[in-house]
Amino acid sequence: MTIPSVAAGAYANVARLADPSAGLGKAAGEAANGSSFGAMLKDALNSVTESGHKSDAQTRSMAAGKADMVDVVTAVSETEVAVETMVAVRNKVIEAYQSIMSMPI
Amino acid sequence: MDLMKSIVIAASGLRAQAGRMQVISENIANADSTPSQAGGDPYRRKIATFQSEMDSALGARVVKLGAVKTDSSDFQIKNEPGHPAADANGNVKYPNVNGLIEMTDLRDAQRSYSANLNVINATRAMIQRTLDILKS
Repeated sequence: MTIPSVAAGAYANVARLADPSAGLGKAAGEAANGSSFGAMLKDALNSVTESGHKSDAQTRSMAAGKADMVDVVTAVSETEVAVETMVAVRNKVIEAYQSIMSMPI
Repeated sequence: MDLMKSIVIAASGLRAQAGRMQVISENIANADSTPSQAGGDPYRRKIATFQSEMDSALGARVVKLGAVKTDSSDFQIKNEPGHPAADANGNVKYPNVNGLIEMTDLRDAQRSYSANLNVINATRAMIQRTLDILKS
């Protein structure tokens, strides 16, 4: 199951972003170096892309008459949820960034 | 995520019911399959079995289609002396398939499939509603 880990990873990263005292790179133990939003986004995006590839492969093998339709439907809906979570988190963070940028100094 | 798990579990139910549907359609299609040689045995009705299986990657019990068993009940015997598969007494063995039973099984498979689809739909709705909080 890649998707639950993708979503959980994204949530955990966001949680760590909110709490700067916990280092993102150290706690995650992954390729993400430094607690930058860009690195987190890139990491999450990579996992989403990976699940996208999986559902792509399923769809292609169904078109070739090899895969089960149930497998395709579950793979596609998993990817859908992962992408939507990803986009929602990104929108939220960008919204926060913009409200900081528009703060009068 | 637990909600994603329930989708995968329900999908296992879909797969199992689809397999059962295959067995039922085999029975219905072969309801009139007579023996290939005189006095031989015709098609024997098949029964799909289900078994609960532990999916360690998922951490939950999913349903799998078990071994497809055969129905050991007696064949229907019809007296058709002119039939190529008739034995010395003119009797022909017909499969032990009862159309009424197969139709009931078919409906059952259909309902179970719909029930699992409803689980998937409800779970998806729950995920979407949760995501809506993040979107607003």
